Amino acid sequence: MLHAKIKSDILRDLVDIVGTIVDEVKMNLSEDGIGLKAVDPAHVAMVDLKLSKEAFESFEADQMEIGINLNKIEQFLKLSSSGEIVTLEHVEDENRLVLEVDNITQKMPLLDTAGMTDPSVPQLDLPVNLIVKGKHLLKGVKASQNISDHIALSAGPDGFEIFSEEDEDMVRLSLSKDKLEELNANEEASSLFALDYFSSMIKSVSNDVPIKIDIGSDYPVVLQFAFAGDNGDVKFLLAPRIESS
Amino acid sequence: MGVAIGSILTSEEIDLNDLKGKMIAMDGYNIIYQFLASIRQRDGTPLMDSQGNVTSHLSGLLYRNSNFLMEGLKPIYVLDGEPDVMKEGTLEKRKERKKEAKKEYEKALEKGDLERARTKAQQTSRMSKDIVQGSKRLLELMGIPWVQAPAEGEAQAAHMVIEGDAWAVGSQDFDSILCGAPRLVRNLTITGKRKMPGRNEYREILPEIIVLQEVLDELDISREQLIDIALLCGTDYNEGIKGIGPKRGLKKVKKMGDLESVLKKEGKSIGNHSVIKQLFLEPKVTDDYKVDFGEPDVDGVVDFLSGERDFSESRVRDVLDKVMDSYEKEKQSDLFSFN
Repeated sequence: MLHAKIKSDILRDLVDIVGTIVDEVKMNLSEDGIGLKAVDPAHVAMVDLKLSKEAFESFEADQMEIGINLNKIEQFLKLSSSGEIVTLEHVEDENRLVLEVDNITQKMPLLDTAGMTDPSVPQLDLPVNLIVKGKHLLKGVKASQNISDHIALSAGPDGFEIFSEEDEDMVRLSLSKDKLEELNANEEASSLFALDYFSSMIKSVSNDVPIKIDIGSDYPVVLQFAFAGDNGDVKFLLAPRIESS
Repeated sequence: MGVAIGSILTSEEIDLNDLKGKMIAMDGYNIIYQFLASIRQRDGTPLMDSQGNVTSHLSGLLYRNSNFLMEGLKPIYVLDGEPDVMKEGTLEKRKERKKEAKKEYEKALEKGDLERARTKAQQTSRMSKDIVQGSKRLLELMGIPWVQAPAEGEAQAAHMVIEGDAWAVGSQDFDSILCGAPRLVRNLTITGKRKMPGRNEYREILPEIIVLQEVLDELDISREQLIDIALLCGTDYNEGIKGIGPKRGLKKVKKMGDLESVLKKEGKSIGNHSVIKQLFLEPKVTDDYKVDFGEPDVDGVVDFLSGERDFSESRVRDVLDKVMDSYEKEKQSDLFSFN
């Protein structure tokens, strides 16, 4: 059973966030809200998302799994405007999801979840942790996009750096310790990432959202931030590019 | 070529992608023969340059290996050395059959029967010095290692898998399994659609893997007994016993225990059977090989294939550019490798 009402903006954020990783996803419903884990087919990036029932206008669900085509929901949301309330309902005997907004109703078949496994999230113990405002990350990514397909994240006791290099071009965004919300680093750590993955992971964050970043050397980066007020929590993992295999 | 025990060996279909990052010891001659047989014009004429040199194998090696490299599969070509004297009978017969096929090919062409001409032409494929030299040169330019076997390529390939220097043998034949290869991957070079022999029908062909231990467990026999069954059915070194195929062979060997007891009971004989068994149990192989992968030398391949063998330069560059792109991507790590 699922019967929920949610602001279209929150649902759009969710679809944006998860849609950077996969087009089809298995959502785990419980009476407390929804949760999902997904990894992209190339095993480069993973998302681990939770949205508690407080994020909804109303929420009632039984413990169950549903398979969702995110592209269809994204298309549906284009019919809604900001602030409108979307109703979600699972019609069990048809195994379809019914969405309603304003005077539009759309039904979509649920996907078979049999082949959709919950990926196990790698347990990483990363030496450097920091918290930075969204605006800095967005600016650093924009700077890197001008010149390269890759982005290096480095941090140490003195601060945090976003760095890109391509042929003779170089760009760097440096944030000293006092520009960060928080910095826990006893050593220097640096890893290189594919910029297209990284930029799509942070594209939905707003300027003032604090983003927690865990960095190692030639290790995956973990990005964590809240959405839907403080009622949603997203964790992204991105595998690094490693020089010469 | 090879042993006819396929029908009792269970295999599992796999995706080329499953072989990502794995080294496959290719039975080189087996694969080059396949290219020579299958890459032909409609009337059966092989691809040739303006000098009349056959280039079918070069086309196959270029495109198929590019595909492997893009998928992250690492091929190692193992090339045949001197055939064992025991094989002479088979080789002699093959030569005869090729002569016969050549005559029938010419006859079919005269009659305008293109389909038959093509089938017959495929049976005339021959491995010349130029073909072997050209194949080695192309592999080297593509950064793909090749290994010279002292005798049979698939025995050497099996040895390399046993030693852990490769993950599986790649061949259409089953001999490497008899030689103890823990894994054999088939259909690597004919993915796509394959014409059913003698019929105008096509079937989707996917790579498949045969795992020796699983086969032995399932059939509940030893590798020695599997070799015994192969000898009953016929190998490159002996004709089989008439009327015994893999299934009956399996039944008889399981019941009687070994080849010798089966032969005794049937009142039949296979000449030199203990020598032949030894060729599979302890084939002539070498530890004197090196496996070094390099990046493709794009200009070198273009100079060879386009400059000397009349391949279209833009097509050769296109496919190699894609391979080079995938090398770049290889540096992307896998999230689950950090678990």
